[in-house]
Amino acid sequence: MLLADIATLLVNSLTWAMATFLVAAGLTLVFGTLHILNFSHGGFFMIGAYAAYSLGNWLTPLLGGPPSVVLYLFGSLVAGVVVALLGLLVDRLVLRRLSGVEDAYVLIATYALLLVCEGATKLVWGLKYQSVMPPPALDGALLLGDAVLPRLSLFIIAAGVLCFVGLEVFLNRTRPGRLVKAIAADPWMARLMGVNVRRVYTATVAIGFALAGLAGGLLLANQTLSPSLASAFVIQAFGVIIVGGMGSISGAFFGAILLGLIDAVGQWLLPGLPGLPFFLAMTAILLLRPEGLMGRRT
Amino acid sequence: MSAPSGTAAAASAPLGFFGGSLRRDLAILLAVMALGALVPALLNRGLIFIAGMVWINAVFGLAFNLLFGLGGVLSFGQAMFFAAGAYAAAVFSQQFGLPFALAWGLAGVVGGLLAGAVGAVALRRNEGVYFAILTLAFAELVHLLISNTALLGRNDGLAGLARPVLSLPGLSLDLREGDRFYYLIVLACGGLIALLRWTVGTPFGRALQALKQDPERAEFLGIPVRLHRWAGFVIAGTLTALAGALVAPWAQIVTPELAHWSNSTNPILYTLLGGSAYFWGPVLGAVLLSAVFYITRTLVGVSDLVTGLLLLSVVLALPGGVLGMLDRWLRRGRSAQDGPR
Repeated sequence: MLLADIATLLVNSLTWAMATFLVAAGLTLVFGTLHILNFSHGGFFMIGAYAAYSLGNWLTPLLGGPPSVVLYLFGSLVAGVVVALLGLLVDRLVLRRLSGVEDAYVLIATYALLLVCEGATKLVWGLKYQSVMPPPALDGALLLGDAVLPRLSLFIIAAGVLCFVGLEVFLNRTRPGRLVKAIAADPWMARLMGVNVRRVYTATVAIGFALAGLAGGLLLANQTLSPSLASAFVIQAFGVIIVGGMGSISGAFFGAILLGLIDAVGQWLLPGLPGLPFFLAMTAILLLRPEGLMGRRT
Repeated sequence: MSAPSGTAAAASAPLGFFGGSLRRDLAILLAVMALGALVPALLNRGLIFIAGMVWINAVFGLAFNLLFGLGGVLSFGQAMFFAAGAYAAAVFSQQFGLPFALAWGLAGVVGGLLAGAVGAVALRRNEGVYFAILTLAFAELVHLLISNTALLGRNDGLAGLARPVLSLPGLSLDLREGDRFYYLIVLACGGLIALLRWTVGTPFGRALQALKQDPERAEFLGIPVRLHRWAGFVIAGTLTALAGALVAPWAQIVTPELAHWSNSTNPILYTLLGGSAYFWGPVLGAVLLSAVFYITRTLVGVSDLVTGLLLLSVVLALPGGVLGMLDRWLRRGRSAQDGPR
């Protein structure tokens, strides 16, 4: 009985952690390379979710039958591509012009972009809350003894872990990935070695935004879809990358798991104040170890 | 208390923080207040309500800009003080039955104490974006506490707040009637703006500006940097709470939305749109942005879109805001008059 409770608690907090990590991955990648803390990341995540939602609504009747997992994944990929293209546009119009601008104004500019995302979403998709059912294969739950493990939760945990492994392999084992890391470490030196830094920046933005769109599609059935999705998730993602260390992918991954566990334990101890442990952990880390658990002291 | 005569800053920026004398800015304030007093005679009920909110938001923006434009400290959590003031005024006057004037003063004290506590902790991290995110986290904490406290009405907030009856010795003024509370807002906000303008001109205000430009040199010259930032943070928090306290009787409802981080971004929007380098920037920004909201109020999403695009274009193309543009234009006119040098 108690064991089942713990298993449920663990699955819930890991689901939260991996959902937040999927959103935070692109955020921390862009921060690590361009040193821009992008408020609008949540906005593009939301646009990705809505794009996948519209695609699903359009394709499901055409294909007939219940929506499949393949369609769900296809919708997420398309959302990733769409948002990556938007990222290229944003890079050209906004991010490039922010080099040399004071930190405070960069933060404010990306907040302005978030407002633009929210406004555009409201204009295109309206204010209504939409709840999206997962495809039947991901609906329902597995029973493990007394523990209830929702299939969608297991899917999200798997997606988060795969995304983490994929990013780590890309950044550490492939040439383009290592280029991104090299530039994050020292753009001046990279330029001396003949690297086209500007092009790598653009590619990083595209990848970061693609991750936001992908996350939007993958998490579509995990929560209700509404224009307030962006601001809810961006604060969570901020918390995770601050705790893990801004700019570090593995920091975001383990920070998300840690915050998920802290939040779950907190809800168990203090059911009246949901979310309090999350903010307490975030402020404590900011004060005691601002470079985060896995970040480097700069 | 007058502007420094002949300093480079005054000569190059006629509208800047120190561009005008205290006397000139007070004259501007009186003119704006006179204009504001005409509002009830000219406009309908809905617009009078908005005008009252513009006054309150102008103080909200000015208090933020005391930190940002003058002191160089970017806070993303000013909504916590605004909400603290609003809730304190509501609780003290409604639940505890205190007279409004006392409740208003206590609301300021609550805001000041909260700012003192948050500032003492958060100002330890003033580098980069950490302070901004830290204040954001604290404000979300306050938001969370408000929406989970039974005394404060949880998510529903406190509704049905009465407008007060002011009783002075030998005189009772019923502010529940007609537009009377609007005039009180004009007077109260006018007073707060005058106080803010006076603060800017004091040696303390000058010190804040000095440590924005070069904290290391300011420290070297004997200005205790963190103490000054903390004092500025407390003053801004107190004034923000006093502005927020006026919302309770004016809107007659307070909700946790007041503490949500999107409300923290309002003073930032006013300030950047109007011009952060100018004392009057946030006031102009509050007026302009309220006009944008009013015009686009029936078009879902357009107000966010327009606000976002305006803010983006200010940051990317017009760093001085509207007053910066006006300032450049005035200076060009002046140098054309003087002839080529």
